[in-house]
Amino acid sequence: MKKVRILSLLSVTALVTTVLVSVPVAANAAPACDGKSPIQSCVGATSDGAPYAMQVPANFNGTVALYSHGYRYNVDIPAAIPLIGGYKVTNTPEPVPGGNADVAKYLFSQGIAIVGSGFARQGWNPDSAIKTNVELIDTFKKQFPKTTKVIAWGSSLGGVITQGLAEKYPNLVSAVAPMCMADNVEPELIMAGDFLWGIKVLFDPTIKAGNYSAGAAGVAESYADLGKVFTVMGKLQGGISSGAWPDTSSATGKSLAAAGVPVRSALLLLGLMSGLPTQSAHFDSISGPDGALKLSFPLAVSPALAILENGTNAAALAILATQDVEMQAGGAIFDNTKTDYAARVDAERVIFNAALSGNTVIDAMLGALSAANPGAPRAVANPAAVAKMRALHTNTGKINVPTVLMVGVADPITPAGASQRLVDLYAAQYAAEKAAAFKAYQTTRDYKSPTNKLLMLWNRTPSSYTTFASTGAPITTTPAAQGTNHCNFTSAQLVLVAKSLVQASSTGKLPSGGALNTAVRKAGNLSVDKGFSAPLLKYYGDN
Amino acid sequence: MKAMNRRKLITVSAVLAAVSLAVTAVPAQAAEVGVSSSEIKLGMTLPMTGTASLGYNKIPGAAKAYFDYLNANGGINGRKVTLVVKDDRYVPTEAVAKTNELILKDKVMALLAPLGTANNKAVAASVNPARRGIPVLFVNTGFSGFADTKKYPTTYTVLPSYIMEAKIMGQYIKDNFAGKKIGLLYQDDDFGIDALAGFKTAGVNFAVKVPYASGSQSAAAAAGWITKFKAAEADVVILFGVSSATSAMLGVAAQLKYAPQWMLGSVGGDATTIKLTGVPAGVLYNAIGFSPVPATTDMKDEYVKLFSDIYAKAVPGSPFDLNVLLGMNTAFMTAQALKAAGPNPTRKSLMAAIDSKGATFANSALVPAAYSQTNHVGLTGYWVGKYSPTGDLAPVGGTYVTYTTDSGAGAVVKSTYVRPAMPAKGLPN
Repeated sequence: MKKVRILSLLSVTALVTTVLVSVPVAANAAPACDGKSPIQSCVGATSDGAPYAMQVPANFNGTVALYSHGYRYNVDIPAAIPLIGGYKVTNTPEPVPGGNADVAKYLFSQGIAIVGSGFARQGWNPDSAIKTNVELIDTFKKQFPKTTKVIAWGSSLGGVITQGLAEKYPNLVSAVAPMCMADNVEPELIMAGDFLWGIKVLFDPTIKAGNYSAGAAGVAESYADLGKVFTVMGKLQGGISSGAWPDTSSATGKSLAAAGVPVRSALLLLGLMSGLPTQSAHFDSISGPDGALKLSFPLAVSPALAILENGTNAAALAILATQDVEMQAGGAIFDNTKTDYAARVDAERVIFNAALSGNTVIDAMLGALSAANPGAPRAVANPAAVAKMRALHTNTGKINVPTVLMVGVADPITPAGASQRLVDLYAAQYAAEKAAAFKAYQTTRDYKSPTNKLLMLWNRTPSSYTTFASTGAPITTTPAAQGTNHCNFTSAQLVLVAKSLVQASSTGKLPSGGALNTAVRKAGNLSVDKGFSAPLLKYYGDN
Repeated sequence: MKAMNRRKLITVSAVLAAVSLAVTAVPAQAAEVGVSSSEIKLGMTLPMTGTASLGYNKIPGAAKAYFDYLNANGGINGRKVTLVVKDDRYVPTEAVAKTNELILKDKVMALLAPLGTANNKAVAASVNPARRGIPVLFVNTGFSGFADTKKYPTTYTVLPSYIMEAKIMGQYIKDNFAGKKIGLLYQDDDFGIDALAGFKTAGVNFAVKVPYASGSQSAAAAAGWITKFKAAEADVVILFGVSSATSAMLGVAAQLKYAPQWMLGSVGGDATTIKLTGVPAGVLYNAIGFSPVPATTDMKDEYVKLFSDIYAKAVPGSPFDLNVLLGMNTAFMTAQALKAAGPNPTRKSLMAAIDSKGATFANSALVPAAYSQTNHVGLTGYWVGKYSPTGDLAPVGGTYVTYTTDSGAGAVVKSTYVRPAMPAKGLPN
């Protein structure tokens, strides 16, 4: 098999949201508006110094769409770091997803204004970002008194912020759309931590993988980890085709290699026990090249390549977000001393048995990764730091206003399970609301059926999508398949979300029935299949 | 918020009652996904291509042959039964994709006989037929876990479990090969875990156990297996794997003139399939085999006779073998379940029919089925046979002696089950 070029495996733009508008910052001053028509632009900063941008059409109808951008690294990345080097911290506002002109055009056509903050703090920031948004809404309303409704949406960590805004301040928003929403900080960083820990204990024990030093020394340690992890990923890429384990492998890794455990099976196991999707931008775990590998490639190789692609995408965020939250919490936050990785993969070990090389190999790998093996030392957290992390903003999942969720079923950064959790919680909430309505009916004889407040849009992967060159090598230079990569949505899909929010804010009801089905079909690659269920993050199975 | 007063509720109830009466009075109304006034649509995923398809790719043709026969004789209350087949190549992720297509695009009423433990587990986890209320009828796997009605409430097994088979094999070993060195080749996944559990319950001690990872079976691998069995001086070698593994093993054994007493599990024990790979029939001679249904060459058996006649007309030139017989038997049981599900079958009524009447569904098996309100287990035993010089499995001593057991600690006992006569023309009553 021809080696897959690792550079094409990482879509950095998926992690760092596109920045839009350069803004002079004057904290807590009135917005500076250009007075232009048909679109008036205003800039300013909230009291925390967070710059914002507003764009208001001449036909403003009183509804404003507040967008919250996703996670941005909170440290500059030196140019020498592979793949993501050269990044500079920015707090430039982003009033529509990725500066998408089609989305802005649609909203303006409906007479809807757009607004977004760059937030005062980057990194994991829902606590401060929610406060910033509350102030920004108030500022907008004062500047544009005609404002009657606020719809809020956000991507990735911006989805957490948006959901948090709706949970804490339901009276401020008419409808919300957390898209490709991250889970709460603990489940999200446990997923990242499990994968990093696995990479460390098998493939390079010099990776720190958390418990970074305070201050600049910790940042430097995270840079070193980035370099090491990307290097290991490159070696694993070669190893999947050659069978060779990285030369940096630990004694535990080397003993598995000596026992004949394929490195691809080890990598896949790490992905499965962390909860990474087994479909990625270019690997569907279904297709194989014509010829001898037609069956064995999807059965034995493709799932590992999908984990490599997804894991590479997730690794940078995993390291930098861990370092960031550790700094906020004051110490190590990842603890797997009690994690039962064997239980974690109880179902997956059957489904991916061939790719994992059978039960004997699986048991050998799980034995090597067990807490009983001193050669795979578990990570121990600082209890005080864990308590501080848990005190960071946490969404309960309560749905207060009409809500649209949209996520790729194979999103490697913010797994679909984070949205599934809200779907499950809302099912229970709705059942309780129905029961309460029926109970009320027994005394009032006036039955008021609760209105559905949740629309789940699944961005599905195609039935198959891996393509191969005539040599049989997989092609990884094509655009990422729908349903994969992080927040990988088309303009049509984003506009559908915007339309749904507009409808819900004006009527109180989300789209449904035939009209919804038609709109979903036209948007493409979306599904409202209520029978679909994404796996929750592994954290929820542990607790 | 919708508001509805009491009068409206009463009115709605009255209308619903009237509609309900109308539906009852007029048969052949469409009221369920996959069921129209003229058709009941079922869907099947299994390997039709690839190395794992060997033999099993005849199952859809066999089932369709029976359904065509059924349809030519009036179908189910005037509806023809159609079967949509998707090739999953025995790749679990592909089974998920293809099952999604069956449910969301083809809109089948039920899934029928999907093959493979890993594939069925993947579908259960990712497609979640249970959450959707979709029946998964008569899965083509003997993994005992699918009988767990809490985990898989809409799934029904039909093949005896691998645990049952291993227990019955163990009993046979005790009775006939006491003191011999026993070797075991098994698939290194849940299929094999069930086998190991059954042999453990039966008290079988192995001189050597050789696992193979699913998909790794090949002639080269088989040579390695033989080395291990030879080193352990195994007198009896049990092949508890899929057809391609059994064939690889026997083919290489023939070349190396390695000839222990073979014992073949039913999953990979179909002689026609093995011989198709070039394995000489003589290698099979005197090997011991197991089957829940009659020998495929037993033309005195009314089911074998009827099914082989139907199949010969539907698929001329294709040998009638164990996979064909099992495929047609499954289709026949499905027809009875659909018939018992009422004039306008629904997914719920279909499952209710199996729960209440499944144990009495006529079928070719020589062992009882165990379906009940709380049990989704199908057939519960095997008869023991030996392969003839031409490679055909026939009962030891010329008479079927059947054994039955469970997937737990229950004893292996000789079955007293007497198969009821086949319904007229092999059609559901």
